[in-house]
Amino acid sequence: MSPIPAAFITVDGVNKHFGAHHVLRDVSTQFNAGEVTVILGASGSGKSTLLRMLNRLEAHDSGRIVVDGIEVSDDARQLERLRAEVGMVFQQFNLFPHLTVLENVALAPRRVRRLDRAAAETRAKELIERVGLAAHMHKHPFQLSGGQQQRVAIARSLAMQPKVMLFDEPTSALDPEMVKEVLDVMKGLAASGMTMLVVTHEMGFAREVADRVLFIDQGRIAADAPPAQFFGAQDNERIRAFLGRILH
Amino acid sequence: MDRILSLWPAGWSRQRKSSATMFTATVGLLLILWLIAIPLSWAPAPIGNHAELFAQGTRVTVELTVVAGLAGVVLGLLAALGKTSRLPPLRWLAGLYIWVMRGTPLLVQVLAVYFALPEIHPALSLGEFSAACVALALNVGAYNAEAIRSGLLAVPKGQIEAAKALGLSKWHTFIDITFPQAFKISLPPLVNNIVALLKDSSLAFTIGVVELTNAGSQVKSSTFQAVPVFIATAVIYLLLTTVMTQISDAVERRFDIEGKLE
Repeated sequence: MSPIPAAFITVDGVNKHFGAHHVLRDVSTQFNAGEVTVILGASGSGKSTLLRMLNRLEAHDSGRIVVDGIEVSDDARQLERLRAEVGMVFQQFNLFPHLTVLENVALAPRRVRRLDRAAAETRAKELIERVGLAAHMHKHPFQLSGGQQQRVAIARSLAMQPKVMLFDEPTSALDPEMVKEVLDVMKGLAASGMTMLVVTHEMGFAREVADRVLFIDQGRIAADAPPAQFFGAQDNERIRAFLGRILH
Repeated sequence: MDRILSLWPAGWSRQRKSSATMFTATVGLLLILWLIAIPLSWAPAPIGNHAELFAQGTRVTVELTVVAGLAGVVLGLLAALGKTSRLPPLRWLAGLYIWVMRGTPLLVQVLAVYFALPEIHPALSLGEFSAACVALALNVGAYNAEAIRSGLLAVPKGQIEAAKALGLSKWHTFIDITFPQAFKISLPPLVNNIVALLKDSSLAFTIGVVELTNAGSQVKSSTFQAVPVFIATAVIYLLLTTVMTQISDAVERRFDIEGKLE
């Protein structure tokens, strides 16, 4: 028997309301280091909210979330440590429009890790090359395509050397021909052993890259299985209906 | 009025053109302040023989504008931060300030600072120039606050989320992310306010500051020649506002990295 890996992220009995709407209902799960988890669910099911609670962009109402031993709360010092460890990539990229690609990637290491400009830019350049944008180093975001912007956003996140990366529908705002270049970068990242939580509708990515698929339905985890099992003989009616809608 | 910007070599980058324009217009403004008595002295009477008085008035007008303008931007930033603060007392205080200053005439504010404050407490007794600066700064600050606040609110929420997710502190999120983007959005209304301030500084006349309008009025009273005096006064104001617009136009272009203004 292989040793049971220590849980890197623990979510325990978490609830979240938006006004009267009960978004997440008593959610408990764990995410292990090095694991790639794809989170699926219909829009409004609470999957993005679950992701955004892990780095405190949303506060949970009750229950506990612990990331690498750090309790997720409003405590300023804990929050600083948490966010330095957890990278996030957004649907709308959210690059800083007034900064160049290089400045976007080098900013947080300079401000948070207190690297000097030269060291931060050296690291930033390596990452920009890794996502295949060496030729665009000194451009501003508006000069790039959506796919290129999202790759910069991934590099910007990686520059903080996070232990886990959260992807919140990273390809949903992209033109179809640009989805692949972003997914390729994400596949490379998964192959390097990065712990990843990915909210997406890209079933191909889920099948090919994920170690595990979580299906969220009406604020609850309705399924938690390896992709082969999840996409195979599915006996859950709601999941079959969801997959039917997504795949056709 | 055409822009100086279009006079630079076509090969120069927009940033370089903008910087050159800012520099040239600023030098132009200083030259006007320093040398304006010379061209005025070439003019026929009653302008030529009162050139020094007009020049002095011009300098005072610009001094009022620069001092009140700088203080007004700082006040405006503080009031905008107060109004967008999470603390209710700060919001309330900033709201009260903006409400009072925008809801009462500037002339009343100038008179109140000069005449009423000393009656409330002798320590609040100010000279004419200082009183005018205080009243003008408080007034323009309230208008600036609304300009800056709308700029702060126009920065997309995703920008702040991205900064948070990267672990940037509140201070760095403001200094590196929010403020530069808000400033760019606020710049055109801020410039409007400062140009209006230059013209409104003529109200300092009422408490005895010898600025441009007062200087002109003195010449008119002693010569009874209203037409040339008011033409000269208006031309100097136009000259000043034009140079100021050139500077701000260049600043706006300096920040326009997306080339939306081309």
